[in-house]
Amino acid sequence: MAAMETTNGSREKSDWTDLNAPCVSTEVEKMDLDKADENVNWLKAHFDPVAGVYSFSSCIALADLNGDGDHKLVIADLGTGKYNMMIKVLKGTSVVQENTLLDLPTGVVSVYMDMTEPRTPGLVVASGSGLFVYKNMRPYYKYNVEALTVLPEEQQLWDQSKVGNVDVATLADALNSLKNEYSSSMLTSQTSHFLKLSSQEEAKQFVEDYKNVPLKRETVITCITTMKKSMAEDDAISCIVLGLENKEIHIVDCEAYTVLHKFTVHGVPVIINVSGLFDVDFRMFVACRNGCVYTLKKDSDNARVCLDLNSQVVGMERIHKCLVVAMMDRTFTSFTTKGRQLWSLEMPADILCTTIMDHKAKGFKAVMVGLSNNEVHIYRDKNLVDTVKLNDRPQALCFGRYGREDSTLVAVLASGALQVLILKRTAEYADHSLHRGPPSSQYMKLNIPKKTQLFVDQTVRERENGIEMFQNFQNDLQMMRVNVAEMYLKGLQSSMTPLSDDPNVPLKLSATVQGIGPMFQLILTIENTALPSPSDAKLLTDLKVVFKYLDKVYTVSPGVLSLPALVPDIPYKFSIQVECIASDQPAQDTITAFIVKPDNTKPVVTANISMPASEGVVVV
Amino acid sequence: MGFMDRLFGWLKAKKKEANILCVGLDNSGKTTIINKLKAPDATQQDVVPTVGFNVEKFVTSSLVFTVIDMSGQGRYRNLWAHYYKETHGIIFVIDSADKIRMLVAKDELDQLLDNQNVKAKRIPILFYANKMDLRDSLSAVQCSQILGLDNLKEKPWNISASNAMTGEGLNEGIQWLSDQLQSVR
Repeated sequence: MAAMETTNGSREKSDWTDLNAPCVSTEVEKMDLDKADENVNWLKAHFDPVAGVYSFSSCIALADLNGDGDHKLVIADLGTGKYNMMIKVLKGTSVVQENTLLDLPTGVVSVYMDMTEPRTPGLVVASGSGLFVYKNMRPYYKYNVEALTVLPEEQQLWDQSKVGNVDVATLADALNSLKNEYSSSMLTSQTSHFLKLSSQEEAKQFVEDYKNVPLKRETVITCITTMKKSMAEDDAISCIVLGLENKEIHIVDCEAYTVLHKFTVHGVPVIINVSGLFDVDFRMFVACRNGCVYTLKKDSDNARVCLDLNSQVVGMERIHKCLVVAMMDRTFTSFTTKGRQLWSLEMPADILCTTIMDHKAKGFKAVMVGLSNNEVHIYRDKNLVDTVKLNDRPQALCFGRYGREDSTLVAVLASGALQVLILKRTAEYADHSLHRGPPSSQYMKLNIPKKTQLFVDQTVRERENGIEMFQNFQNDLQMMRVNVAEMYLKGLQSSMTPLSDDPNVPLKLSATVQGIGPMFQLILTIENTALPSPSDAKLLTDLKVVFKYLDKVYTVSPGVLSLPALVPDIPYKFSIQVECIASDQPAQDTITAFIVKPDNTKPVVTANISMPASEGVVVV
Repeated sequence: MGFMDRLFGWLKAKKKEANILCVGLDNSGKTTIINKLKAPDATQQDVVPTVGFNVEKFVTSSLVFTVIDMSGQGRYRNLWAHYYKETHGIIFVIDSADKIRMLVAKDELDQLLDNQNVKAKRIPILFYANKMDLRDSLSAVQCSQILGLDNLKEKPWNISASNAMTGEGLNEGIQWLSDQLQSVR
């Protein structure tokens, strides 16, 4: 069997190979290890534990950035949360480009902005109050959301402070009263920053520094998505839909960068889900921070409350005519577009992220839910069709075409790792659920006999006298409970129970019988149940055990057992020989054990031991 | 007439024919490889993604190859199985620069080897670790490791690093394949 490498590589190339050979072999070993719990439908194509990516579902996108059919992965990396914010473009397993961002990214989308050939989409990164548009991965345009109006009083104050009419302390007082009068969100960031300064010197310096900076009030983009403009094709021109901190939704044209339409909702938008075309008709679902989902339509300007949820929304996807909402209270619920609940599922762990899985070649559409138990559950309607196990908690998920592979799942994990999974070509998803729901045997029809006349009569009687029957039953139940309680009390009072009610002699007695007869071994376990306290160790002394039995049937030795001092909390075991002497019949009787105090005629505790039937004596 | 027929028959019989199936993922370079193996006057200038399959013929010193060049696109891959029965040898082309889809190639190879028509026969399989000229491509040894070729015991196989654009490494592979085909018969 010839299995030799035909060596054609240049010298340089073979060096490179040697360097990387061990790396690949470990990868192969790892694959073998993973084989045991491998999913049959997914290939774990790539895992980079040290990718060091910190991102969320809204900040990753798959796009054909160069128009060559090779889709790249774009990740807006939040860095440390303060520094190192970056746009990373990955091709295959390696990062091909990185661009630094100035502010935290809130979302990344790819949009086709023009009709020039070759069709390359632009990459739009929402960050702070601006949109940064990249084309061919070069900065192309910066769009700023239009500034809000500044309060005239605030403007006046700052104007006067610039000329020097107002000193710093009065300015701070005046601004503070403004802040109380309106809300802090109505003031400019310059004012809020100023009010946070602690010392006079700092404040003075601040006023000096900002002397020539015009006062402006900006809002922040909270979420971004796209909507096709007039055609529904994949590469048709889109416009951008922005959710803003000042509770507005802007639809921005991508060619001219003008605001096409504005909506106002009653909460700060968090997730926007758009369907339809801007020029024809569209409908938007906007999940807000106040736990409500609003509906917006092309024709009407006012937002209608669609859902008022009990919990915060983690993910919201639209499948066909249903809206599927994943919430922080682990529920995963489907609603109609009118807001009527269709079904709701409880997840086994916290939901971290969701994405839509749209497999166009198979016409398969499902929702992927990333859970905190490292799993991604794939739901088609309410059926769980597959579970994918990841190496860590998923923080962001993205399903789409990566490289040349149509159905790829990219997951950013909580540890900063990046994992790529590819759906196998042969993967089949049945309609029915895999793990959840009642077993199929429940749907089997049972062979139930026909209803008899007796059954029918009984049912009729029950229906007619229902109240009476219930009352009788309750009455009997109460009577039984009273009887039981009485018996129990009696037992306690006459020390007929194996538990002592005397606080001075707290005892517990239990007994087991070993053997098949005629010789039995009776093992008594006696425990002092007083709470052990080092100061007052309640020792029980001078106790004796005596037995009551029919002397025609049994002999018991020893007949009287003197107990040693009993230390609390330690079970003492005593073994007693019992012989069955009634040879003629298979004897079965009860032996009663009493624990008594010498000066008292009433036993402390009593245990009734029912002896098993004895075997006859084997005569050899 | 009769004499001429016999003469042609004899001439033809001198070179045996072999049916070869060329498979591999899309964009791995199957059509380019076949194109390079053909006579220089018959080559195409532009290679476009194959739709369905192409049938190509070329002649080496000892054999006449009829190659069925299958499309590697996902939606056409289920066509491959229809041709396993008739084939004498398989060429499996791997894009050695596409690390992320190596496992997809392995998956397709496993399915191929699992097919009963392939299992039943001792078909020689030639692997081309193509695109070796690219900077971040894997070597032939690494490719065979990832594909798990070490465990492939029941078939004769060979892997050869190739560059279909220049034709480097192609002839060694075809030489091995024709040796195998001749020794089998």
